[in-house]
Amino acid sequence: MAAERALEFTLNGRPCRSSAPAHWTVLDLLRDRLTLTGTKYGCGEGVCGTCTVLLDGEPVRACLLLATRLAGRALVTVEGLERDGSLDPLQAAFAREGGAQCGYCTPGMLLAAKALLAERPAPTEREVREALSGNLCRCTGYTKVIAAVLAAAWARG
Amino acid sequence: MRLSPFELAEPTSLTEALSVFARHDGECRLIAGGTALVPILRLGLARPDRLVSLHRIPGFSEIRAEGGVLTVGAMATHAQVGRSAPVREGWPLLAEAVGRVASPAIRATGTLGGNLCHAESASDVAPALLCLDAELTVAAARGERTVPVADFFRGFYEAALEPGEILTQIRIPRPRAGSRGGYVKFCPRSAEDRALVGVAALLVMANDGRRCEDVRLALGGAAPTPMRARRAERVARGEALTDSAIRAAAAAAAAEADPLSDLMGSADYRREMVRVWVRRLLTSLRDGVPTPV
Repeated sequence: MAAERALEFTLNGRPCRSSAPAHWTVLDLLRDRLTLTGTKYGCGEGVCGTCTVLLDGEPVRACLLLATRLAGRALVTVEGLERDGSLDPLQAAFAREGGAQCGYCTPGMLLAAKALLAERPAPTEREVREALSGNLCRCTGYTKVIAAVLAAAWARG
Repeated sequence: MRLSPFELAEPTSLTEALSVFARHDGECRLIAGGTALVPILRLGLARPDRLVSLHRIPGFSEIRAEGGVLTVGAMATHAQVGRSAPVREGWPLLAEAVGRVASPAIRATGTLGGNLCHAESASDVAPALLCLDAELTVAAARGERTVPVADFFRGFYEAALEPGEILTQIRIPRPRAGSRGGYVKFCPRSAEDRALVGVAALLVMANDGRRCEDVRLALGGAAPTPMRARRAERVARGEALTDSAIRAAAAAAAAEADPLSDLMGSADYRREMVRVWVRRLLTSLRDGVPTPV
């Protein structure tokens, strides 16, 4: 078995010390060692978007990124969105607008949308569609996902 | 599903990377962003014993414009290139092309150097770099060499790199004043897909507003490698850019394309789409209207 590599990074706002074998991805580390299973395994090839997490604020695919790339950086997963027991405005909007059906794509949708709103607090619908273009919903519930992201932006407005 | 185990080297200088990469024990691959390589590993299409990751080499993702030349470090991500003020200001065709790569998360991880070394025919950045006459700096233990991007794509998913060589920089001269650039990407299935065909062009109109003084045209997905459409350029260059001249150039581009058939589309369909999208792109550039989507 490959040797473990020690890793120090910021996970959902808190310092995290862990380790992973060289061939593990961020997704392997999150789900199988840190038991943060909110980030889902979908296609494993970077196409479906459900494993999207934020690395230093940018959306990235946890299934494509080797865990060693986390060293010294800040990672946010869907578990890091709530604040003091309250849902993030985006999560609340998804609940209110019916932005989740089976829910499997939802963690990735939320984080892709989070990255968009950080950069563009009042996006157009076209910008929302573009930001979510790499997140596939097998239930095809896109209309309400887009409505939820726009509603979250307006609520902050 | 886990990746098969491999050794991982994370050198902190180019010299160290070159020396680790040149070791002759087992199969070794470079990893940049990993957006192309990790799926290849996951699917078992390659089983390297060792990866050499380039992410710890300082300055390897630097972007700077100096003396009319843009220098992009091979590890700069598509997102970094697309956000760069000098790129947007002086090389807008490149900014447009990187903005069409896959989806935001892939753009934030995948690198310009990795994109080129993967030598994907439907690369979004290769046609733009072909139009812009980019030059690539390739390093090896024995020294550096410069390769025009037009000579970098040797074959289907094969870059012109010798064993032990590492692409370090992409250098792009500033396009001449008055150039109008555009990139169109035809995705029949979904926005984040690879292009069925992609077309980049750089057009300079004469002062009379009618004649094409110069044109560069390059295609992705239209042959086993990205390609310049030089015959189509010769058809249009120096001519009054009427609708019929544009149709003749588009037909020439379709004729010189050498597309493959795959699940996305047949060779005949790709060739026809080259004709359609070259026509649409040149028309919009001539008329100074936004590039068609």
